[in-house]
Amino acid sequence: MQTLKKNTTLIIGISIPILMILFVAGSIYLPGLFIKPQVDFLYVNGDDNYYYYNSGYQYTVVNDKITKNDVKQPADPSLKPPQVEPKLYIYDVTENVSREISLEEAKKLDLNSSTISPDGFEVVYGSRNDGGFPFFWGGGTDYNARYLKGHNVSRKVNLPTTGSPYYSGMHFIGWIK
Amino acid sequence: MSTKEEVIQYIKNLAEQKILTKMEVNSAYDAGSGIQTDVVLSKKLGISEILYYIGGAVVFLGIAILLAQNWSTLGFVTKLLATLGAGIAAYFVGVLFSRDERTENVGSAFYLISALVIPMGLYVVFNNAGYDAGSYGSQSLISGILFAMYISSYFVFRKNIFTLFSIIFGTWLFFSLTSAMVGSGPYFDAGRFYEYRILVAGLTYILLGHAFSKNARSALSGFLYSFGILSFLGSALALGGWEPNQNVFWELIYPGLIFGTLFLSVYIKSKSFLTWGTLFLMAYILKITSEYFSGGLGWPLALVIAGLAMIGAGYMSISLKKKYLTA
Repeated sequence: MQTLKKNTTLIIGISIPILMILFVAGSIYLPGLFIKPQVDFLYVNGDDNYYYYNSGYQYTVVNDKITKNDVKQPADPSLKPPQVEPKLYIYDVTENVSREISLEEAKKLDLNSSTISPDGFEVVYGSRNDGGFPFFWGGGTDYNARYLKGHNVSRKVNLPTTGSPYYSGMHFIGWIK
Repeated sequence: MSTKEEVIQYIKNLAEQKILTKMEVNSAYDAGSGIQTDVVLSKKLGISEILYYIGGAVVFLGIAILLAQNWSTLGFVTKLLATLGAGIAAYFVGVLFSRDERTENVGSAFYLISALVIPMGLYVVFNNAGYDAGSYGSQSLISGILFAMYISSYFVFRKNIFTLFSIIFGTWLFFSLTSAMVGSGPYFDAGRFYEYRILVAGLTYILLGHAFSKNARSALSGFLYSFGILSFLGSALALGGWEPNQNVFWELIYPGLIFGTLFLSVYIKSKSFLTWGTLFLMAYILKITSEYFSGGLGWPLALVIAGLAMIGAGYMSISLKKKYLTA
C-alpha cells in the first residue's frame, strides 16, 4: 500500500496512455457490436469514367432507376484512352460481400441515390495515417479503401480488386429500396 | 555495539552539521538491507562521455549507410549479421563494460549502439519474413519487442539508460499501436488524433518526470519535463485550431494551461516549464491577436498590443526565474 502511495504519480503517468489505447479500441470496436448497417447498395467498379471517360458511359439514377448515359469521347483516336468495361455490384451489408450483377438485373432495382442511407450510413473514402516514429502526422485520403460510416461506426467495404494498388475505381450509385 | 537510539541520534547530529545527506543514509540502508537500487550517473556529461555517445551514433550511421547503399546486393544473412548481430553484440559488450566502474560510460555508448541498431535488425527480419516492415502492425511488434527488452534490462541491471530507452520505445509502441488499430478507417480526423496522442504522451512525460524527480532517476527529470511540456502545450495550441475551424474549448482553456504551467514551474522548480510556458504564452498572444483582432482593430494596432503583451510575458518570466528558480 505504501509503495502504491509512493508511486502514485508514476502509476497515473503510465495509466494515461494505456487508458487512451483502451479508449481508442473501445470507440472503434464497441459501437460496431450494437449498430449494424441494414441497407444494401449498388455500385460500379473498375471504371475510371469520372476522370478519363474510359468506358464511354456513366451510370446515374433517374426516377429511382439506373440509367446508362453516353459520355462524349474525343474525336481524335489518339486521345482516346483504352476502353475499360465497368462492372456492377450489389453490396450485401449483412454478409459484407459484393455480388456482381448485369445491367438488366440492376434495372429491376429501385434505388435511392442520396448519399446517406435511410438508416444513416454513407460510403466514404478511407483515411491515410502515414509515417514512422516520431512523425505520425501524415494524413489525407486513402482512395483505395471505402468505408460504411454512420452513428460512430465505420466498417470497411470489401471491394473486388482492380489491379491498381493506389486507386479503386469504385463509384456509389444508390441504396437499394 | 551502539544501540539503535544512539545510531539515530548520531545521524541527527551529522545531519545538523550537514555532514550527512538523506541520500547517503538511504543508500547505506539499501546496501545493508539488500534492496536493489538504481545505478545512477549522477555526474554531468563530460566531453569524453559526449564523444562516446557521438561515436556510438557514428557507428550506427556507418551500418545504416552500408545497408542503404548495398540493400539489393547484400544477402539476408549479411544484413542480419550487420544489424541484429551487431546490435546484440553491442548490447553484451555494454553489459561487460558496465561491470567495471571505470568503463561504465563506454558501456552506455555500446547500449546506445544496440538501441539504434537492433530496430534495424528487426526491420530486416520482418522484411525478409514477407511482412511490410513499415506498416503500423510491424512497427507495433518491433517497438513492443524493444520495449519489452529494455524494460526487462532495467529490472535486471537497474540502469537509468534502460529507463530512457524504455520510455522512447514505449512512446513508439503507443503511437504505432494506436495507428495500427485505426488503420485506414475514418474513425478520427488524422491530424486531431495525432495531436491528442502528442498531448497524452506529453502529459505522461511530465508525470514520469515528476515521479523520477524524487528518486535515483532524477537525472531523467529535466529531459522528461522539457519534452513533456513542449508536447503538451504545443498540441494543446494546435488543438485550438484556426478560425473558422477553431475549437472554442481548447482556445478558452489554453490560458489556464499556460498559467498552470508557469505556476508549476515555481512549484517543481523547473526552468523548462518556465521557458516553454513563456514561449507558448507569446505564441498564444500572437495567434489570438491575428485570429480575432487583426480585422477589427487593424493589423498594425493588433501587432502593437501583441508586442506589449509579449514584453509583459517576458518580464514576468525573468522575474519568476530570478525570484524562485535561481539558486
